[in-house]
Amino acid sequence: MGNKQTIFTPEQLDAYQDCTFFTRKEILRLFYRYRDLAPQLVPLDYTDKPDVTLPYELIGSMPELKDNPFRQRIAEVFSEDGEGNMTLDDFLDMFSVMSEMAPRDLKAYYAFKIYDFNNDDYICKSDLEKTVNKLTQNELTPEEVNLACNKVIDEADLDNDGKLSLEDFQHMIIRAPDFL
Amino acid sequence: FLMLFFEEAKLIESLVNMSTRERIKAIQKMPEAMEKKREIRNKVLKEITVKSRRYRNQCDCCAQCLQRMAVLYRRFRNSLSEYFHLLQLWQRTLKVIGGKFGTGVLSYFIFLKWLLTFNVFSFLINFSFITIPQFVAAQPNNLSFTGLELFTGTGYFQETVLYYGFYTNSTIRKTENGASYNMQLAYIFTVGIYFIICLLSLVFSMAKSFRRNFINPQTYSGHASKLLCAWDFNITNEKAVKLKQKNLSTQIKEALSEVNREVLNFSLKEKFVHAVIHLAAWVASLGTTVAACAGVYFLSINNLELFMKKHKDDLEGQAAMLVLPIIASLLNAFIPFFYSWLGLLEKFQNPRHLVYVTITRNIILKISIIGILCYYWLNIVSASESQCWETLVGQDIYRLVLVDFIFCLLGCFFGEFVRRIIGTKVCVNLGMPEFDIARNVLDLIYAQTLTWIGIFFSPLLPGIQMITFSIVFYVKKVSLMMNCQPPHKVWRAAQMTTLFIFLLFFPSLVGALSVIAVTIWRLKPSKECGPFRGLSTMYTAISVWIDILKNYSGSKWVVWIYQNLFQGALFFFILSTILLIITYLYWQIIEGRKTMVKLLRKQIVN
Repeated sequence: MGNKQTIFTPEQLDAYQDCTFFTRKEILRLFYRYRDLAPQLVPLDYTDKPDVTLPYELIGSMPELKDNPFRQRIAEVFSEDGEGNMTLDDFLDMFSVMSEMAPRDLKAYYAFKIYDFNNDDYICKSDLEKTVNKLTQNELTPEEVNLACNKVIDEADLDNDGKLSLEDFQHMIIRAPDFL
Repeated sequence: FLMLFFEEAKLIESLVNMSTRERIKAIQKMPEAMEKKREIRNKVLKEITVKSRRYRNQCDCCAQCLQRMAVLYRRFRNSLSEYFHLLQLWQRTLKVIGGKFGTGVLSYFIFLKWLLTFNVFSFLINFSFITIPQFVAAQPNNLSFTGLELFTGTGYFQETVLYYGFYTNSTIRKTENGASYNMQLAYIFTVGIYFIICLLSLVFSMAKSFRRNFINPQTYSGHASKLLCAWDFNITNEKAVKLKQKNLSTQIKEALSEVNREVLNFSLKEKFVHAVIHLAAWVASLGTTVAACAGVYFLSINNLELFMKKHKDDLEGQAAMLVLPIIASLLNAFIPFFYSWLGLLEKFQNPRHLVYVTITRNIILKISIIGILCYYWLNIVSASESQCWETLVGQDIYRLVLVDFIFCLLGCFFGEFVRRIIGTKVCVNLGMPEFDIARNVLDLIYAQTLTWIGIFFSPLLPGIQMITFSIVFYVKKVSLMMNCQPPHKVWRAAQMTTLFIFLLFFPSLVGALSVIAVTIWRLKPSKECGPFRGLSTMYTAISVWIDILKNYSGSKWVVWIYQNLFQGALFFFILSTILLIITYLYWQIIEGRKTMVKLLRKQIVN
């Protein structure tokens, strides 16, 4: 329990612990992961809240993300500028939501934002098509993709406006116990 | 903008009024960026200090002190929870497995870890409450130790704390007029309380799992959920990702082709043929089970004759004792292949039905074998003229557990390692093997059932099972990483886990409990060994104790509970009626809610 670290002030660490699902050790470990991506950019002293942003290319090369087909969307959703360049806060946020301690509703909320490619708070048909393509790595013909998207909208769209809102999505998640 | 401001003020107000734990949980769950959350948190904390300062104006240093103490206490609790996380075994390994192979295979390892905790708990309480007092009153062991005991469990081990027969029936006293320890009561109560805790924890897990994974007021598991909820964000390995993508595309293609094609109407003749094939397959599988059980039964009777006839001090006699466990394990290992082959012959329309039917057949086989062995132990061994039948049963179970463990390791070696060599070098079409989740989980359930039955006859058996499960974990993990590829088919981990927990509860734990209940209530304990020697049934120990308690005025309530609750039939009748009424009420509530959901859905659409 000794405050041997000098990276954060105790108040900063308390704030991080309150706002994420991580313990002190995990937060420090994540900080070192963040720093390892670019040691020359990230200072070892965060007590004066430096404004450091790592570009998307570095984030996307992390072993946890590099094979995930949705890594670009994930980085965009959690980054402040919407382009995928992440500060430490965004980084911690991302891993907090993706960790196993986050509740399902929170994950559903962010999953919705990840699948919403044009950021209009609705998953419309073009968003769905892009999702299906990423999920199947272009193994389906465009016709099949079209059919699949139509089926999804038919089934899940409750208010019949041709696109999925957050409520439709969450309604579907409750019935899918395998959602992670 | 004003609206947002008001909403935020309301949010801060509600957060201020919560307790600290709830507030932290609420802030963590907010779907906002970190900066916003930190802002809200700081505002809330400021509000709280302002409020508390207002109420404590007269004692300013006191308020600061209290606040500082609160912060320190929170930090202390956080670091304590960090150390608690260290105790979680194998977390890193489980993450790596989940990343490379997905949640289906991960569920097997989590199940193994869960069963391990049952065994650790049982070993700890048996060791502390039964074995340690026994060491005080131990009798000397005159037999010599040869290495063969590790496999057969007889010989030197017979006169150790491993088996029921060694335990004394006396009331252990360290000094005259000192505290006494009644071994009979300790034995029954320790085992009884352990099983009650197991039962409660299984029922609780089952209910939680069922509620999470089977809510389905309307059949809504459509294709939409398959698409949008199917991506497993746990996977971090490139090969696994590609496999999952291929998997999903195959699923989508299948689903789409179902839409395009019209539903094939099977002609009456084809339906009839299908029904006949299914019936024939069931007859074949049940027939094999019955044949296996008959074989085990005759072999075990033979085993007993062999034991009674000559004193098994020679090597041949001891080796002959291993025949029964080896045959039982062989049957358990090879008959499932036959069932899989049968499953391929019957062409199921829904591949999930194939999985369920195969699991059902396998579980019927395993439970029948255990059932026939229990029948043999409880009816034949207990009535035989051996000196100490409970120790015999304990030794049988010890051998079964050990041979099952060895077969598990062998199966791993041949099923995965050799199969991989064949699949990659000799016959390249086969490819690397996949990890067969269902079979492995059923093997675990079989091993755990044997352990639960054996706890009464061999109190340290959970300790042995603890060691075997740990070894199995490491061996399976290494074999998985070296030899297997991620699964091709979809494995609905959450629902299958619920099914496996249910199987652990219903045939496994309930069966073990019935066996032990029959042992305690009906069977005559052996005259010369064990904590219950000389009594007519083991249960009389408790009746005798209650009779003694009647003389003490302070314990009249125990006597009252015993007489009215355990011996009174009226109590159980009333309890059953109340339970039935509650079940009926809940069922009606569910029906009412289903109608409500339908109505609301119609309203939204319109």
